[in-house]
Amino acid sequence: MFEARLVQSSILKKVLEAIKDLLNEATFDCSDSGIQLQAMDNSHVSLVSMNLRSDGFDKYRCDRNISMGMNLGSMTKILKCAANEDVVTMKAQDNADTVTFVFESPNQEKVSDYEMKLMNLDQEHLGIPETEYACVVRLPAGEFARICRDLSQFGESVVISCTKEGVKFSSAGDIGSANIKLAQTSNVDKEELAVTVEMQEPVTLTFASRYLNSFTKATSLSNVVQLSMSPDVPLVVEYRIGEIGHIRYYLAPKIEDEDNN
Amino acid sequence: MGILGLSKLIADIAPTAIKESEIKHYFAIDASMSLYQFLIAVRSEGAQLTSVDGETTSHLMGTFYRTIRLVENGIKPVYVFDGKPPEMKSGELSKRAERREEAQKALVKAEEAGDAEQVDKFSRRLVKVTKQHANECKQLLSLMGIPYIEAPCEAEAQCAAMVKSGKVYATATEDMDALTFGSSVLLRHMTFSEARKMPIQEFHLTKILENLELSHNEFIDLCILLGCDYCDSIKGIGPKRAIDLIKQHRNLETVLKNIDKNKYSVAEDWMYTEARQLFLEPQVTDPEKIEIKWTEPDEEGLVKYLCGDKAFNEDRVRSGAKKLAKARTGATQGRLDSFFKVLPCPSNISNKRRGKNWSKEESKGWRWKISKTKMSINIFISILILTILHIL
Repeated sequence: MFEARLVQSSILKKVLEAIKDLLNEATFDCSDSGIQLQAMDNSHVSLVSMNLRSDGFDKYRCDRNISMGMNLGSMTKILKCAANEDVVTMKAQDNADTVTFVFESPNQEKVSDYEMKLMNLDQEHLGIPETEYACVVRLPAGEFARICRDLSQFGESVVISCTKEGVKFSSAGDIGSANIKLAQTSNVDKEELAVTVEMQEPVTLTFASRYLNSFTKATSLSNVVQLSMSPDVPLVVEYRIGEIGHIRYYLAPKIEDEDNN
Repeated sequence: MGILGLSKLIADIAPTAIKESEIKHYFAIDASMSLYQFLIAVRSEGAQLTSVDGETTSHLMGTFYRTIRLVENGIKPVYVFDGKPPEMKSGELSKRAERREEAQKALVKAEEAGDAEQVDKFSRRLVKVTKQHANECKQLLSLMGIPYIEAPCEAEAQCAAMVKSGKVYATATEDMDALTFGSSVLLRHMTFSEARKMPIQEFHLTKILENLELSHNEFIDLCILLGCDYCDSIKGIGPKRAIDLIKQHRNLETVLKNIDKNKYSVAEDWMYTEARQLFLEPQVTDPEKIEIKWTEPDEEGLVKYLCGDKAFNEDRVRSGAKKLAKARTGATQGRLDSFFKVLPCPSNISNKRRGKNWSKEESKGWRWKISKTKMSINIFISILILTILHIL
């Protein structure tokens, strides 16, 4: 038996909003520690890793580990049926082939339940090593979304270069080029508005702006986004999900041809 | 043409060995796979495109634009041309010649009857790729700076050898016997027109073997039983029966001993051992000796070659050449597979068993000269096979 109750259905809605751009379907792995999701997009360029800890839920019960393959399009449809202030409960029997979503209005007067068929997904879990990153940048999530949107008008790629002064995003294309520099915030009054850079060595990497734009769909989850980079390894873009977990996106960098070096 | 019913059998029995991916996302390719396909498909009002003096140019048109699309999507194609067909293919080839004659007759009939649809259908069946087509194509490719290789014998076999050695990532062909030859990854529908919106199918040989519970040798026997290009199959044995027989008896010799000779007539001189030999040790050039090099496209050369007699639009050729040059200098999108390793146990979700093999070596990107151990690196090369001998 699996049961997870979340007072704010809006969190679940936002999580879904944040992943459905990249994934069509995904497996939710439920264990007594919480709900995890890990999946690559079709092209194997980016990966979504989401974790919702069991203690973040109102009520959480998972007797046996279960993996539920869900079509995210269908799940979105169901969650659209919930009001933002509704309480949502996810339920499934052991070895069930369906999952049930129960939405209760705050005054308990309306209770609706939706049952959704599960899918058998061929899942590949990737081992992601714990890594010390050469640069870790924190900036307001809204600012990052804005930068990605603005730069994607110029070219397919965004170059992110990080030095101890700050971080620079640039892009170039047919119409010209664009550079956005963010300096470290000197006095931190409000943490969620600050730009901070922790750096061991400077890093410059190139990424596809299309994927960065998809990642920023998670902006509504958190005020702050954290970018972690090291030379020649994937970028990590992390958003906290309230007090309950996080969503991390990994993106493989674009690589220069050796022939041309 | 390849192995009869193999793709359907794999889809039935080993569905996880096939992955479909959206064109835009994945290798993001689709271009017509061969000169042959181009000659059939690239038409205007039912007739092939021709130059001023009536020479066909459909194949050049196809090769030029589709290759540019591949390259733009970060794929580095290597074209492999067929050499001379193995002797054992003569039976198959003469059958094809017969079919061609039939089509010719039908065409004449249809023309007399004035049935435009039928005329179109049969004239497509009569398409034949000649040495000249192939040579023109090679000339075009060298102007475009795209590498090509001439296989000593079957192109699929050469591709398979190159995939096995890690020179390239996958074989792109519609011919399923690339798998029989041992190509670890096969891409289908990669060379289709974008307009058809066909997803690219990716076949993984190891997964196929795992799911079929067969060794590679048994798989070859299965393919021979299904019907390959090199010898006849046994009448009355379909895919279902073939797989059962191989699973039960494990090789063709035992299958032959055990099947009901009255029910299934086996040709006296069934050449299955020779066919097997051909699959196991095909005549190929040692992949290690092949140098694959991408060079700068020759814009002026292309304009001269395509825009003169062949009546291509100069502006389009020039912009194509620019795209090629741009793609060559641009960075290639890496794939996460080359950074993170797939965990052996898919249901395991604990953090303890995370993989530790983050190898910086492998993250340096794709390269042409790749060593054997780096087979799965993010090379976006794929081979397009020009099956010139399809109907020769």
